[in-house]
Amino acid sequence: MSTLLNKRLARSLWRTKLRLFAVVFMVSVGVFAGITFGGYSHNLDGMYETMHGDDKDGANLGDLWIDNRSTLWSTEQVADFCLELTRSLAEASSQGLDSCEGRTILQGAMFYDDNGDEKIINSLWHGIPSNANSDRVWMPEGHSSGRVASANNEIVIDAHVADALKLTIDDNVTIGAGNASAEFTIVGIGYHPLHVIMAPEGSIFPPEAGEFVVGYLSDTGMSRLTGNDLGSSNLIVLDVNGTPSFDLPDTEVYEGEEIDDIKSAVDTAINSTELDARVRDRGQNEQVEVMRQDLEGSKRATVPFTVMIAAIASITIVLSLQRLVQSQAKEIAVLRTLGVPRKSLLSGYLIAPLAIGGLGCIIGCLIGPWGMNWMLDFYQNIVGVPIIERTIPLATYSTVIIPTMLIVFLSGILPAWKASRLEPLEILSGQNEMRVGSNLLRKLTAWMPTTLGLSIRSSVRKPIRLTMTFVAVGISLMLFGSIQMMSAGIQDTLITGLEDDQSWDVQVFVMTDGEDAVLEWAANVSATTELLIEMPLGTVDDSSDISRSFTVVGLESYTDGMREVNLIEGTLPDNSQPTTQVMMDEGAMVFLGWDIGDTQSVSINGAETAVEIVGITRGEISRTMYFIRGELTEITGINATSVYLVMPEGVEIDTQLGEISAGIVERQTLIDGIESLIEQQTQIFQAIMYLGLLFTIAVMLNTMIMNVAERDFELATLRVLGASTKRLGSMLLFESLLIGIIGGIVGVFFAYGGAIGLAASFSSWEFYVPVVIVPSVAFQLMFGVIIIAIAMTPIGVWRLRKMNLVEKVKDLSQ
Amino acid sequence: MTNLLQMQNIERHYETPAGVVKALDGVSFEITQGERVILLGPSGSGKTTLLNCLSSLDSPTGGSYSFNGSDVPRNHSEQMTSFRRENIGYVFQFFNLLQDLTVLENILLIQELSGKKDPKRAVELLKLVGLEDEINRFPGEISGGQQQRVAIARSIAKRPNLLLGDELTGNLDTETSQKVMSALVNACKEENITAVFVTHDEGLVQYATRVIRIDSGKIVSDKLVNTAEE
Repeated sequence: MSTLLNKRLARSLWRTKLRLFAVVFMVSVGVFAGITFGGYSHNLDGMYETMHGDDKDGANLGDLWIDNRSTLWSTEQVADFCLELTRSLAEASSQGLDSCEGRTILQGAMFYDDNGDEKIINSLWHGIPSNANSDRVWMPEGHSSGRVASANNEIVIDAHVADALKLTIDDNVTIGAGNASAEFTIVGIGYHPLHVIMAPEGSIFPPEAGEFVVGYLSDTGMSRLTGNDLGSSNLIVLDVNGTPSFDLPDTEVYEGEEIDDIKSAVDTAINSTELDARVRDRGQNEQVEVMRQDLEGSKRATVPFTVMIAAIASITIVLSLQRLVQSQAKEIAVLRTLGVPRKSLLSGYLIAPLAIGGLGCIIGCLIGPWGMNWMLDFYQNIVGVPIIERTIPLATYSTVIIPTMLIVFLSGILPAWKASRLEPLEILSGQNEMRVGSNLLRKLTAWMPTTLGLSIRSSVRKPIRLTMTFVAVGISLMLFGSIQMMSAGIQDTLITGLEDDQSWDVQVFVMTDGEDAVLEWAANVSATTELLIEMPLGTVDDSSDISRSFTVVGLESYTDGMREVNLIEGTLPDNSQPTTQVMMDEGAMVFLGWDIGDTQSVSINGAETAVEIVGITRGEISRTMYFIRGELTEITGINATSVYLVMPEGVEIDTQLGEISAGIVERQTLIDGIESLIEQQTQIFQAIMYLGLLFTIAVMLNTMIMNVAERDFELATLRVLGASTKRLGSMLLFESLLIGIIGGIVGVFFAYGGAIGLAASFSSWEFYVPVVIVPSVAFQLMFGVIIIAIAMTPIGVWRLRKMNLVEKVKDLSQ
Repeated sequence: MTNLLQMQNIERHYETPAGVVKALDGVSFEITQGERVILLGPSGSGKTTLLNCLSSLDSPTGGSYSFNGSDVPRNHSEQMTSFRRENIGYVFQFFNLLQDLTVLENILLIQELSGKKDPKRAVELLKLVGLEDEINRFPGEISGGQQQRVAIARSIAKRPNLLLGDELTGNLDTETSQKVMSALVNACKEENITAVFVTHDEGLVQYATRVIRIDSGKIVSDKLVNTAEE
């Protein structure tokens, strides 16, 4: 009997094919998204492991970086430090040192011949000995070419830019690093673990391809370029045996115990050799941490996205099955009268969602790998690093399928229970269709025209269904709107800040005391100038005693200079106060739990300094403290790290400026880079966004169809009594509008909540995402839902038109 | 007496897999203003089909049907709806009141749909059917007989030229049926409404002025009754 009953149920479901397909589609999309994200993060993980690996296939990413860009240590200083470190490490930790290597990294420029036009490209040059142990150039087989540089005229160009600049092996390039230029021959094209994201130091926004170059010289090549002694360094890379755990800035717990032992030995060695330097582990190295967090973000996104989509599917299943039970009430009552036990009915309604879920899972699993490959290809295009191995482990499939099937199964319980609890007598006597309207609603709508009142009362007749619909619409819009809201917020904050609050054309980076040459060049071409200090020289211990690095910015004025700030609270610093007054970005204030008026102790370039926080700014992705430049100079001893220029009409950057600078950035290039990154990041989620939109349509459609189907009785009555289709259509339109407006408001709230959640999950010390409500996005969302709701009216009208009134009258008389 | 409607040789044939079913097979009659006609006949005789054709819910496949001297539209949904809106009142067996509207609002809705909203008249009609105390109640709060009386008030609220009812007491006990029918006759007389009812119940003949018996899609008898009383 059960088989026949299940067959009956299957046929009933088949009669509502559209709804059935929508539910299967939603489940399959949920599984598809889960497998896509799961597979994507798994393979990215593998890519980073290979790249960071300490073997012949990897580049052996360092464990600690000790640097000071405003100084240069001699070979002897580095050797003394390494010796002292080995000694102190033997006392402080059981970890052995694998290598302690001095390097030079310098900002500079590439003089690139762009079809006859000389272009000066902001660059970064590494001097890496050919026998280096850690932080080597990564040259994966089949995705790189040539070899590492060993002679003093050889260079390896980062593969990210080789294509954009059409550079190949044996090409000659002219490069500079702040004092002179020299010619190098390209002997290899490869990658580096510190430059997976091709952004200049201190930024996480990669300019467009070819606007920022990274090159890997040999140590002898670096010596030739800079004129410094061979072996002089501004960076020491440490590699210890194995990979000691380090603190992950985006987690609540502290994981840095293992690296702390080594850091403590490093501090001892720094003090005893009198080096002035900052020490960073992998979690504090922005270039490494940003990519790790990107990967973690992908991993974290797997579960919530899958669960959100599965939740929408389950709400649709609950609503659809409940409607099915309702429409089959008489049939079920007859079956119960004929003696069919409750259990038999119950099992059918429990099996149905499992069958739907199973089918959805199979489809999702089949198309999941395609989605994963698409995302990996997309990532490969954005980041420019090859992802060679691509597999999906069984654990990913089970992580996605088990919760999905659980949610789907749970969603069948309520309708199944309702079906089994139907009372035959009540159904067959028609008592179940009798209900008493709400007196409150009557009072609230009594003043309205009766048709309008009826529309409102009909819309809210099933409050649970309506609530579930709004929740489903809310979740759908959370998928769609939160990403849109967050992107718009970032765009609004960052781009507006750069476009409206800043007026410089070019930022010219200078070596220590190198600003005079730039000022002279500017005076010669009548360019306006402004000196500034901008360097990642600050550190502070947060409430968990974790050392956090931040950028210090020193400007002459924040009101009438070339760079203003978006002050969201407090005042601008005043340099006439006994305690140095500063402004800090809102991200840092949130993470540190600081308030305006606090006086805090921070380390600036190694010097402990008390600062009073007087203002909070918005618009900085990295954590930043703003000083009056004179006061920062007193603390750091640095007069300027770069010069802002406003160029007169017709004046352009030339070779002379390139040679005296340590890098040049144009504001427009920076804006283009940020816009392009935000667009790329948005594109990654675009598929999810549009799925959200599609789900909103599906959920609204489902509810509207159910509403109209359920009201067949009353609509048929009104049609028989002479109500025109137009009149009934306008009633349906009003209902749609009402549901659309409420759905839109709910959607905006969900999207805002989602954006806050998303921003919180992406936010860390290194990358703070502010959520700023951009009204146009909220209006767009609301308008979108209203349009979707209104667009459903023709379906109701079409249903009205094709209603067979003769048949309906028969039904009404039975 | 004015002639309200005229059906001439009306046919309603259905194509079925088993062949053509002749639900109405050459039905002809006229109804004059103020008549209360009862259509009697066994199940499947064609009386409901005839009622559907009279109300323009269904289109005859043959013959002619004129109402107040004009041809009644057929095979055009909106024109047929418009005809019903302007001319027909309808009472269902199961009342079919809108559960979300109060008794009074059920009547106002129909007036509103036909563009003749008149709350005073709606209350008067409820008085006419003896329900003036129930106007703010929801249908679920009153008895079946009371609901049917609301349905009657609703059907005449827009002053239809012709009131139709299909087994309108079929769901009621004898005593309640009598109350409902008395209310209906009373309302028809007061409002000078012509009425046609389909029923199985021979007992309702007492409320009619004319009885048409139908079988196998044909009229088998057509008699005036209770003329003396009128």
